[in-house]
Amino acid sequence: MERRIFIKNTGMIAGGLLINKTQNIFGASAGAIVRIAVVGCGDRGKGVMSVILKSPDKFKITAVCDVLDFRLTEANKMNKTGDTWKNYTDYHKLMDDKNVDAVVVAVPLNMHYPVAVEVLKADKHLYLEKTMTYNIEQALDLVKMVKARPKQVVQVGHQYRYSPLYYRVKEMIAKGYLGKISQVDCRWDRNANWRRPVPSPGLERQINWRMYKEYSGGLVAELLSHQIDFINWAFDTHPEEFMATGGIDVFKDGRETYDNVQVLLRYPEQGMIGNFGATCGNSRDGYLFKIKGTKGTVSLLTDQGMFYPEKDLLKGNDVVDGVTGATRIVWNKEGGSPILPEPTKDGTWYALNDFYDKIGSGKLPDSNIYTGAKTAICVSLANQALYGKQITNWKKEYSV
Amino acid sequence: MKTWCIALTGTFCSIILLAFIPPRPLQKFHIQGYSQGTTYQVTYYAADSVVSQKQTDSLLNRLDKSVNLYQANSLICKFNASPKGIMIDGHFRILVKKALEINHATGGLVDVTVKPLVDAWGFGVKKPAHFPDSARVKTILKNIGSDKIWLQGSFLHKKLPGVQIDLNGIAQGYAADLLSNFLQRKHVYNYVAEIGGELRIHGRKPNGKPFKIGIEAIDDNDINPGPLRKVITPGDGAITTSGNYRKHLEAGGRQISHIMDPKTGYPTQNEMISVTVWARDGITADGYDNGFIAMGLKRTLRFLQKRTDIGAYIIYQKPNGAVADTVTAGFKGYK
Repeated sequence: MERRIFIKNTGMIAGGLLINKTQNIFGASAGAIVRIAVVGCGDRGKGVMSVILKSPDKFKITAVCDVLDFRLTEANKMNKTGDTWKNYTDYHKLMDDKNVDAVVVAVPLNMHYPVAVEVLKADKHLYLEKTMTYNIEQALDLVKMVKARPKQVVQVGHQYRYSPLYYRVKEMIAKGYLGKISQVDCRWDRNANWRRPVPSPGLERQINWRMYKEYSGGLVAELLSHQIDFINWAFDTHPEEFMATGGIDVFKDGRETYDNVQVLLRYPEQGMIGNFGATCGNSRDGYLFKIKGTKGTVSLLTDQGMFYPEKDLLKGNDVVDGVTGATRIVWNKEGGSPILPEPTKDGTWYALNDFYDKIGSGKLPDSNIYTGAKTAICVSLANQALYGKQITNWKKEYSV
Repeated sequence: MKTWCIALTGTFCSIILLAFIPPRPLQKFHIQGYSQGTTYQVTYYAADSVVSQKQTDSLLNRLDKSVNLYQANSLICKFNASPKGIMIDGHFRILVKKALEINHATGGLVDVTVKPLVDAWGFGVKKPAHFPDSARVKTILKNIGSDKIWLQGSFLHKKLPGVQIDLNGIAQGYAADLLSNFLQRKHVYNYVAEIGGELRIHGRKPNGKPFKIGIEAIDDNDINPGPLRKVITPGDGAITTSGNYRKHLEAGGRQISHIMDPKTGYPTQNEMISVTVWARDGITADGYDNGFIAMGLKRTLRFLQKRTDIGAYIIYQKPNGAVADTVTAGFKGYK
């Protein structure tokens, strides 16, 4: 009934658009295949494509877009489907493609916002890579725009927390298994320059965009945002205070973004400190994610995690002198218990499956425009602290 | 004579004096380590730390090298890969002998040759992509049965190259025995030795009170375990537990037990949730506990009816779904 009134009031063209969109939404829920275009065919774009190609019952790539020809060639090489993919070098043109229901955006960070706006205006569903936007203004603006378009599904690519492991940890935190949590330790280290090979010197800035402030938020935006986002989501909170230090300490190769960073976040509501660090000069820790409470520690990799109860709690069991039970499965010599019995799949797999389901149901994804904005704002405030050598604070108007 | 008298008086005085020197008080010592893919703990009372973790680690390492399926170079892996069998060591021989004895006593329900079934149903070292169908189970069953292995001196023979054994169900109880024997050799007589939930207990605490042993809750939550289900004081002997509540897989909404029925080739499916067994030694208690799960409630109760050398505390599910427990005459320290 509502729809009929709407068509009457807005005339034939707008009504036609709406019907088209409605068909897509209900089509997917009935098991229809979602037609995907990928904008940005770099490492991440191709990585997402490889996962999409594993679910031909849900997704079908119909178009690919990149400003670099060799990237398009690489993307097309992945096509073993027998169908041809429409190739675009200008994302604006892709927006008119009627064979596209949803767009995966995996472009440099500074381009997230302009491409996302076009996708939304074209009435397509959007899977936008993290970090959601380059700055706070864009984040708040995108929230406004998505709010006004309730029928389009917008998911932000914080894929790790889509793994059942991370859902389980969120549940453990909520149930109080860790006790009072006071510290979060995160690292994402490597002993490498974090550069991609450049076929000709003219392409340096386009390919190694992560090295330049104009395009990228550096290590905080590209790596630490995942862990910052998980803490925001798991505790339903955000930090109030942002302190940071860093520099170009290992690779003095003309880059602008720091290769050695440490961010310190204060969550006063939780009485909690978050330490988020990344260096390009050591790989021992690699990916490290520890959540520390009075009852125990959760230690996470991307696909597996352990729980270590506090030793004093184990020793304090004076009621009995021994316990009998079915053999406990223990993975390591420090007495930790695995949080899940098996390592999980790559987070992107779970994230894309959920994207498909949400296109069908029209419901809000778990990594959505609101959580995406919150994390993008955190990243921006952390980078303001880092590069501006100042303490920055969350502002009321950021809470959307 | 005088000298002799003085000497005698001296000796006498020394004896009197010695009698008045208080013995050194017993202290509590705790060892915590890792072996056979799980943790072990020893708590003992002695005047001094006469047993170290280095010693217990090396003791259990030797057993690992013999019968640990997770160590590719272990004797058991070599036996499983061999076409006709291999020479085995002392630990291995003791375990196989006991396993064959228990196989006989349980009418074939406890069988160490179930390894190919354990693997096929997803509880082995390598995980299969899917559960076996009936044809596959039938093929696997050709290699199952304790009549397909036999000992000749220190040579363990197999009838068919595909015959493989799994001593995991009995080795932890035996490991607790090894710890117990080692403590006794060091003149430690008051201790609790536990490995993977299987225990050997001896003596009492310095205050004269018996050791209290908790029977774990059956809630499958390792992260935040529920309160103990029961606390018992079994005295000297072994306590082991076999349960379906921790190690199981799910298929089609159904839970698949890790305990195999060697006759049918399928995981056991009955009312048993957990069986805690008391026996004089760990190898016996651990050797039987899986068997009782496979036997089910009625047969287990009949088997243990008149026995005082072995007893069980059983948690099971009633037909109406409620969880109940029962205990047999031979189970020690249950109030």
